[in-house]
Amino acid sequence: MKNDNGINKIQKTVMGVLMNFILIVFSLSCIFPIVWMIYSSLKEKRAFNADIIGLPKAPTLVNYTRILTNSDYHLAESMFNSVRTTFLSIVLIVLFSFIVGYILARVRFKLNRVLYVMFLMGMLIPIHSLLVPIYVVFRNCGLSNKWFTLLLPYVSFGLPMGIFLVEGYVKGIPVSLEEAAAIDGSSFSNTLWKIILPICKPILVTVAIIQIFSCWNEFSFALVLLKDVSLQTVPLALTQFKGQFASDYPKQMAAMLITMSPIVVLYFVFSKQIIKGMVAGAVKG
Amino acid sequence: MLHSIKPKGRTIFLYLLVPVAMFVFTVFVPLMTAFVYSFFEWKGGPQKTFTGLNNYIALFTDKTFWEAFSHNIYLVIVCIVGQIGIAFILVMMVNSKLVKLKGMHRTFGFFPSTISAVCIGLIWNMIYHNQYGIINWFLKTIGRADLCKVWLNETSMVMLLVAIPLIWQFIGYYMVIILSAISSIDTEVFESAEIDGANGVQKAWYITLPLIKNTMLVCTTLCIAGNMKAFDNIFVMTKGGPGTASMVMAMYGYQVSFSQSNMGYGSCISVGIFVLSLLVIGGSQGVIKFFTREKEA
Repeated sequence: MKNDNGINKIQKTVMGVLMNFILIVFSLSCIFPIVWMIYSSLKEKRAFNADIIGLPKAPTLVNYTRILTNSDYHLAESMFNSVRTTFLSIVLIVLFSFIVGYILARVRFKLNRVLYVMFLMGMLIPIHSLLVPIYVVFRNCGLSNKWFTLLLPYVSFGLPMGIFLVEGYVKGIPVSLEEAAAIDGSSFSNTLWKIILPICKPILVTVAIIQIFSCWNEFSFALVLLKDVSLQTVPLALTQFKGQFASDYPKQMAAMLITMSPIVVLYFVFSKQIIKGMVAGAVKG
Repeated sequence: MLHSIKPKGRTIFLYLLVPVAMFVFTVFVPLMTAFVYSFFEWKGGPQKTFTGLNNYIALFTDKTFWEAFSHNIYLVIVCIVGQIGIAFILVMMVNSKLVKLKGMHRTFGFFPSTISAVCIGLIWNMIYHNQYGIINWFLKTIGRADLCKVWLNETSMVMLLVAIPLIWQFIGYYMVIILSAISSIDTEVFESAEIDGANGVQKAWYITLPLIKNTMLVCTTLCIAGNMKAFDNIFVMTKGGPGTASMVMAMYGYQVSFSQSNMGYGSCISVGIFVLSLLVIGGSQGVIKFFTREKEA
């Protein structure tokens, strides 16, 4: 009996070591590429080509300074474009999701269910089937290749999930709250902005978190709708880089790290809230 | 009951006008446009010729399109097994009492899914590169330089090679979703199973899996929808090549419309993508529901 316990203990220890080992290998594989990029971007091209995996012997920031100072690469410009597009998209998505979500949850009117189904369909539609037609429609209406062009698809594609998250959340708020407000003479708009908005803050933060990543990272619609180099967003700029520096990896890595930096910093500072928000969005949405 | 929340119709109208108009304009108007133009021969210029069903007949016999569709299906299957399967196994490990650093695994594991597909594609291009890639460096270091290849030029392997980054990117994502589902299961269930002498694998298969069935369904649906729209990675890594060996539907639609500027046929392909994606997503839901029902009976 005693012996048996001993074997069990050994078995358990081996299992424990094995599982820890597998998980650590997995975790490291997830951040290895970015670590590799960080230290490789500090090498000069020649040093990198001679030894792709070793740590830099003479670390230098020359790749970064060259990329950022040469305006031919449009990196700073595309960063600005991405920040503007992402920021405005988030503001609009949160605002519209809040308004539409609340109205769909609370107000009874003829078209309520019609709108509900319409936004639901918006979630089911494979958006990549819109890639070509959206280009045609935008070109015909003179909407493509403008600074605000990307706001339309980004806000529209972000809306359905936002609306459903808000709608579900509002349904959990007791109606008596709004009834009391109405008795006290609060108008619809007053109730909406002064009472409901503060209560909905957590869900609106979740909506914003989910959309920050998808807007910052979106590529295919930017590719189709923007032609001007001065308007391009970060992912577009990166694909241009790939062509220009096909064989200069350290420079490509530096460019990628610059464009990833806002997202990476955001992620590692708020990882708990971000993971929670993304999961809520995926499961409920 | 809700009589107190009955604002004027005009107020509601004003609030809803902008978001609804915007949504209809960017989602439904293009859909309609695609449907209309799919009946025309149109090379992007001012001249459009109505050709009836010609585009659709061409689409049905277009080998490249169906090859692209089969590649989408391949990605779906490989990614369901790879992403959700591996994620489930890893979650079982993370939940074990013997494992340390749970928070780190969660944070690091989730990290790749926050990076853009373009960056992921570029990173893996570097990993696969024949001269400066990590894989060939590794093969040389262990003395098997004979196995080195220009990886993304291998017609027979290229689909697997573009699937690996996708799998790698999202394992952590599904891991976190599954973890959150499991954390809502009553721990008493596991304790009583342990007293009955169930081992780790048995617990995972007979208790955890049935209890998180709905979450697994959500994961599968997400995975299917995600891979039917594969585009960014492919665009960055192979552009569908070599030849059409890694062509996916969205990539093909893009090439026909923009490289060959055949907008009429491109619209037809868009309608095809729309219908096929909905069929696959809807069909898979039906299949999953059918099988899970049978199990319960």
